Amino acid sequence: MGEMIRLTVFRYDPERDAKPSMQTFEVPLLKPGMKLLDALNHIKWELDGTLTFRRSCGEGVCGSDGMNINGVNGLACITPVAGLKQPIHVRPLPGMRVIRDLVVDMDHFFDQYRQIEPWLQTSTPTPEHERLQTPEERAELDGQYECILCGCCTTSCPSWWWNGERFLGPAVLLQANRWLVDSRDEATGKRLDQLEDAFRLYRCHQIMNCMDACPKELNPTAAIDSIKRKILARKS
Amino acid sequence: MKVRKDQGAARSGFEDWYWQRLSAIVLALLLPLPFVLIIAVYSGRVDQFGLLDLLDHPLSRLLHTLLILALIVHAYMGLKVICEDYVPHIGWRVTLIGAMLVVMSGFGIWWLAMIWAWGG
Ligand code: SF4
Ligand code: SF4
Ligand code: FES
Repeated sequence: MGEMIRLTVFRYDPERDAKPSMQTFEVPLLKPGMKLLDALNHIKWELDGTLTFRRSCGEGVCGSDGMNINGVNGLACITPVAGLKQPIHVRPLPGMRVIRDLVVDMDHFFDQYRQIEPWLQTSTPTPEHERLQTPEERAELDGQYECILCGCCTTSCPSWWWNGERFLGPAVLLQANRWLVDSRDEATGKRLDQLEDAFRLYRCHQIMNCMDACPKELNPTAAIDSIKRKILARKS
Repeated sequence: MKVRKDQGAARSGFEDWYWQRLSAIVLALLLPLPFVLIIAVYSGRVDQFGLLDLLDHPLSRLLHTLLILALIVHAYMGLKVICEDYVPHIGWRVTLIGAMLVVMSGFGIWWLAMIWAWGG
């Protein structure tokens, strides 16, 4: 047999297990450039069908397979096994309730996303054609719109672990900024009103874990800073 | 995690953030001065009377006042954030922050009284 990869995977079924445990697996190196998701799929399809995790696109687009890989949050589908120290420790995203194995309850995360009203809001009459943007205005959205809401950043943020019921967290604040910098959106004032809060926004202490965790290489810290600067400009 | 009903924004937090940064700038500018003074005394460049004269000067009193105010504001804001992060129980949190406010402003008033009573 060829080269084997060793993994130790978090297992927990709240309905049966008193407490979580780590289970060890060995998976053959299936192909060059093999990703962690390939290894998890191999376990599920060939070794143990009860292993539960979310995945869909398999190429870093849908954001469903965020997990904690050797202590760092990331997407299994775009994380090559080659660079990982073995045994590869695979755990669910931290700070969220485990539904089963690697599947966490993301309701609160998406609830917070809803709180920032993530859609275009306008008060001027709808133009006959589309609302136009100059190339420069469009460029403002770069680094803001690419977020796939995988939750890797938010669940790596200590401030969110401690005050997550109120602190919106890096992913949602990045999205809040995405609508603030959109030249077509006309609800800036209302949006800033909704963000100006010691817990919702100012809980961010610039620890920068979020930036390290983001698999899309976005910078939520900078977005949070930009919101703070907008509030400062509005007050000064 | 408990899913809480959206309570909206409290429209607070900006002031804390602003004062923490403003006091940090004042501290960065003024905090080296007392150290310069200490070095000057220990190196024998300034004697005891010279030191008292320096501290007595209205400008030094003013800078001294600014320094103490900035120090207290900065420490209070920092400790408040720590309480908000680590003390989950609202009752304890409010009590602790209130107690801090009383103790620190008491200390500030005492110090300011010293600055302005000298030689007066
Ligand atoms: S920079 Fe802010 S949002 Fe990002 S991890 Fe740190 S505290 Fe959390
Ligand atoms: S900012 Fe990055 S890490 Fe955070 S949710 Fe979006 S894509 Fe995921
Ligand atoms: S499976 Fe879609 S992002 Fe990984």
